[in-house]
Amino acid sequence: MSLKAESVSPDWFKHKRADKNLIVNPVIPWLMIGFPVLILVAIVIYPTIWMGYHAFQNTNMMKLFYQDWEYIGWQNFATVLSDDRMWDSVGRLIQYLIFGACLEVLLGTILALTLFELVKSQLARVIILILLVLPMMLPPSIVATLWKFLLQAYNGAVNHLLIKIGILGPMERIEWLDAGLSLWSLTMVDVWQWTALPLLIVYSGRVSLPPAIYEAAKVDGASQFMVLRRLTLPLLKEIIAIAFIIRFMDAYKFVDKVYVMTSGGPAQSSELPVFIAFQKGIREVEIGEAAAYAWIIFAVAMVLITLFLKYLKKVLKAQTFA
Amino acid sequence: MAELELQSICKAFQHPVLDRLSLKVPQGEFFVIVGPSGIGKTTLLRCIAGLENLDGGKILFDGQDVTNVPPYQRGAAMTFESYALYPHKTVFENIASPLVAAKTEVTEIRRRVQDVTKLLQIPHLLERKPHEISGGQKQRTALGRTLVAKPKVYLLDEPISHLDAKIRAELRIQFHTLKELREVATVYVTHDYAEALSLGDRIGVMGDGGLVQIGTGREVFDQPNSLFVAQHLGQPTINVLDGQLQKDNEDLVFKSDEMQLPVSRELANKLKNDSGREVKIGLRPQFIHCLSEWENDKDLPVFSFQAEVELNEALGSYGVLLVKAMGKSLTVITSPEIHYSPGQKVELSIETNRSLYFDAQNGMNLGTDLTRMEADG
Repeated sequence: MSLKAESVSPDWFKHKRADKNLIVNPVIPWLMIGFPVLILVAIVIYPTIWMGYHAFQNTNMMKLFYQDWEYIGWQNFATVLSDDRMWDSVGRLIQYLIFGACLEVLLGTILALTLFELVKSQLARVIILILLVLPMMLPPSIVATLWKFLLQAYNGAVNHLLIKIGILGPMERIEWLDAGLSLWSLTMVDVWQWTALPLLIVYSGRVSLPPAIYEAAKVDGASQFMVLRRLTLPLLKEIIAIAFIIRFMDAYKFVDKVYVMTSGGPAQSSELPVFIAFQKGIREVEIGEAAAYAWIIFAVAMVLITLFLKYLKKVLKAQTFA
Repeated sequence: MAELELQSICKAFQHPVLDRLSLKVPQGEFFVIVGPSGIGKTTLLRCIAGLENLDGGKILFDGQDVTNVPPYQRGAAMTFESYALYPHKTVFENIASPLVAAKTEVTEIRRRVQDVTKLLQIPHLLERKPHEISGGQKQRTALGRTLVAKPKVYLLDEPISHLDAKIRAELRIQFHTLKELREVATVYVTHDYAEALSLGDRIGVMGDGGLVQIGTGREVFDQPNSLFVAQHLGQPTINVLDGQLQKDNEDLVFKSDEMQLPVSRELANKLKNDSGREVKIGLRPQFIHCLSEWENDKDLPVFSFQAEVELNEALGSYGVLLVKAMGKSLTVITSPEIHYSPGQKVELSIETNRSLYFDAQNGMNLGTDLTRMEADG
């Protein structure tokens, strides 16, 4: 005889389960899902398929107008990949990622930990955080416009300030948005706006670390530097990485400030891949080539995001029990 | 040579927690602080470790004032009730961390960590991370991290409270024999009175504002200076009855409603002018006996009374009887072999010379010397 307990539902329970107190017209769920699906199809799925199709056609403005494009195989991709303009922009993207995203995360981490260690009053912390986060609250196009004015070579406030404090002579000017400096200026503006995000992420991570282990470290005799190097940074490693991933993904599609401040110029010196795709597709109406651009960008993003998600999964798994 | 001295230290949060607390723990002494939760035991340890700033008073290690010395230079080792293990480090790294901070040689670190883990029976866990081990193992890791250091003062905050009974008993014995603990001063906090009585060279019972009584285990158990101490030490809790001292012919008696208990001669002499005074009587359950269990070779007690059993708990090594006698509820410790059923009538006797009398207002023990109490508290 088996000793396994049989699970027999009592009658009242069966009765309760059989009770259909929510009677819904079967059409309603379909309607509720249907509308969002339709919208998605209209603005995302259809254009994506359309783009996929045109990446293999020789579509441009005239051909689109007369609807007589034809299949040309992988030729669009070949054009894009052999274009120096594309490879130059990839180089600039890497430069931007290293000096933009990394600097933002580095500065954000330093600021967050300094804020936590030095400012002990909760009110002061909140006020400082709000001040630091303000730039992030502005729309990127506004920030870009603002800085475009500030960085004007002649009437710009930045140069004016530099002359005032004597770094520049009275007749000297820095051409912030000139070919040599434009990408650096863009990076600087982006750092100004987005440092607050890693700051917030790292700060909240630091706040959530248990104070008891810091006390234990103090009693153990660890110096401030040791606590930072052996406790705080290893424990915040994953959180800093997540902050970097978020900034990286943003940076990858960085186009707004480029568009407003330099339009990729002068002489295409501040173009980034996404901006070129936009330029090709919307300005030059080289639909086929722009579609190929978009596919390449999409494919690289897929690879990167897969790697990031894999990393995130590992992090989450490690943190479940901690 | 390591000695801890507290000179009237004060610490307040919203209300005063430590009020002019003074204490001297000589080298090699195992000083146990026992008290109800939330009374400030942990705060006291944190003050000694330097994690809290004092509002007044001085802390001396070895005669040196360390009141304003930061915790990492004080030379105290502390266990935390929440373990406070470093989550990203292995058990080995956790235990080794005070040695690493002190820049000890690698071979020496390895040797000492191994010694400690052997003692705590966790050598098989060295490579695991804190989230991979059980609560009891975490607690032993935390204890290991404390024991591995060579501090001037050990501060142990309920270090074995979450272990299972068997390991707890083993570690309790280890604490008695550990020579590291005998070289320095140790302050040990617990809420378990049995642990306190077992381990403490001296015991400090903590009440509001500081240590209510300091003494050896026997002293605080047999001669509690106040009702608070008497109620806190002992399991089952001491029976407390409200009543009055009255003159019955020439003898002093304790009277509470229908109950009338003779006061021991020694105490009656001391309190002979206190007839009519409101008092509380403390009767330890082990000093109330069922006459049916009375052993023949002992003299029969002079005083006995009838009671009715309400509840009988057989706890293995002893039984706990809840009885009603003369309108009062009493707890009695009995032999575990005899079964009592609710409603049964039993004849009880009280060792009246072991009764404790407390002032009804301030709870002070009327039997102890007033001069002693002042010295303690």
